[in-house]
Amino acid sequence: MTDAVFRETAAEPRTQAVPLSHLSLELGHLYMEDFEAGPEHLRRHFARVRPWAEAARATAAAGAGGKRPRISTCFLIDDYFTRFAGPAEVVPLLLEEADRAGLVVDYLARESGCAVAGKVPVAEAVAGRIVEEPPPGSYGLRPPAARTGWLANGERGPGARAPQAMKKAVWQPPKETAARRHSVFLDVELWDDGPDGHRTWSCPFLAAVWQLARLGLLRNEGEAVLVPQPHTGGAFPEDWDELPPLVRLNPRADPFAAYRTCSVLPSRFLPVEHAVRVILDQIEVDPGALDQAAGRSARENADVPASVADRISYVFYAGQ
Amino acid sequence: MTPGETQPPVVLACGEVRTCLLPALQALDSRAAAQLLGVRADERVLLSERPNLYGRSPDTLTGVDCPLPSANGARIRAVGTVAAHASLTEGRVLQSSAHFRAPAAGPDHRRPWGHYLVRPGTVEPFGKLPYEAVAQGLLTGGRPGELDVGLIADGLLTRVLRHPLLDQRPPLKSRPTRLRWVALPTERDEGPSIERFTVAEDELRTVRLRVPAGTPSGDIAGLCDDLALHDWLLTTVVRILDGIRLGAGDPPARPRHAGERPAVVTALRPAVDHLLHLWMPRARVAPRLAPLWDALEERPGFTRQWRTLVQRIRDQLALHAIPHREAEWCP
Repeated sequence: MTDAVFRETAAEPRTQAVPLSHLSLELGHLYMEDFEAGPEHLRRHFARVRPWAEAARATAAAGAGGKRPRISTCFLIDDYFTRFAGPAEVVPLLLEEADRAGLVVDYLARESGCAVAGKVPVAEAVAGRIVEEPPPGSYGLRPPAARTGWLANGERGPGARAPQAMKKAVWQPPKETAARRHSVFLDVELWDDGPDGHRTWSCPFLAAVWQLARLGLLRNEGEAVLVPQPHTGGAFPEDWDELPPLVRLNPRADPFAAYRTCSVLPSRFLPVEHAVRVILDQIEVDPGALDQAAGRSARENADVPASVADRISYVFYAGQ
Repeated sequence: MTPGETQPPVVLACGEVRTCLLPALQALDSRAAAQLLGVRADERVLLSERPNLYGRSPDTLTGVDCPLPSANGARIRAVGTVAAHASLTEGRVLQSSAHFRAPAAGPDHRRPWGHYLVRPGTVEPFGKLPYEAVAQGLLTGGRPGELDVGLIADGLLTRVLRHPLLDQRPPLKSRPTRLRWVALPTERDEGPSIERFTVAEDELRTVRLRVPAGTPSGDIAGLCDDLALHDWLLTTVVRILDGIRLGAGDPPARPRHAGERPAVVTALRPAVDHLLHLWMPRARVAPRLAPLWDALEERPGFTRQWRTLVQRIRDQLALHAIPHREAEWCP
């Protein structure tokens, strides 16, 4: 109802707006093995990232409609799959090496914040928004091939799980739905459940959540999630859990979320990021959040692709 | 969205509504309704208390890629998503409603799935859409393998009906109804109209509408949910009155015990307890579509029939409230 005379707020959808930059530039992911490889490893990483980061800034400036582009940088630390050291030890080292390469890390995120941010089960909510790509012939029934915890970019071939009677049937290849003549079929594991019932989200799935956070498209009951917290005081805590999931390190930084994202990563991340694209292409994001990004980008003449997966980009540099 | 990208106009909207009595002895309050309809962890159930209690689930999407039914047998493949929601009125009548809209034309190949997901509730044809033929095809129902919006409404209803909040003890007997609708654009500046409302056998109703270009398909679905709700109420109350023997011609075979209710009262009471207060046409219909009710009020006269039914029930109950003496009159 649009009549303004009488309104019921609980009866109307609402979506909190978040500030948006033009580009969210990711300067890297840090895993335990990266940290264990010593400060030289981080130094080499940032030295390689630097020229690509500058190129990404230049590209963003070209697409900002003639104005100064708002660009924020971020860095993701894995505290989900393995716990190592603590913020007090890792963060100053990280910032020092970034600074040495002439890079500024505006925002720092913990990967476990992509699983559960505060009290919000973000990953579970995103999993609930998966709308599987229908293979041709889907007329309204749920796809029978759906396999819990997995997501593919096409139709699976009848595999080893087929009943015994079918084993003699001729092998059928899997088929990518959007294939151009030949398929590049990908089947992504989204999570696994431990014997204690504890669910562990896969790295590509959390990375997809991370992309949605950077695109400002995550909401919980209409409220923004993974809102950056300012870093107060000089020292960082000893324990990862004491660090907010998303910290603003640079008080003058442009907004964390952006119309587009670019991640500069070593090429070993290529398969993970392919999986991220397959996942993002099958997630129905909050329509209110989509409308906000579309409306604002149109008003400031910033070119934003309609499709969510097309808003993310990468630079993969050679090496580990 | 990318500047300069123009969309072909929407020329067809279509949907199907399932309406049934909530299988629970007691009607649900708003809180329980929010639990029942919470099909998504991260989205609120919309709850309204004026002018009556009403809850509505978030939309869920189902991907489709299949031929559209068409009256002339043309095979038109279409790809996109069908939106569906469930709603509960006064904690008592449960509905699930699935619908989509279709533009006049689409590309002749399938696009990446992300393209369709940012256009929720839109199904794009390959090439040009012969929308009159498809509208007719959708109303009469397709062949196997063609788009079946009813299946999607069924799927959501089944999911909600399995909720542990429901004790599966409905207070009265009733049958679910299906209402299938299509909306086509009006000529030039004409207002919206109902071209045909058909009550077919086996609980199927079909509605054919004309709406001005740009009418949101959610608004049309809202109107059709409202029509389906009231048609179900009429159907259900008519059936209750059909199923009992009225009048005093049939004295009880044995004298009733004190406190035992006559069969008529037993049959009519659930209607009074659970249904009679639900009649409220246009409660949540978009203002620009609300006038469409006028045609149905004129002929056959939905509210006129409802008032007559309600009066009959009240008269019967009043009659039975008078101390019963027929048995004594018998020789």
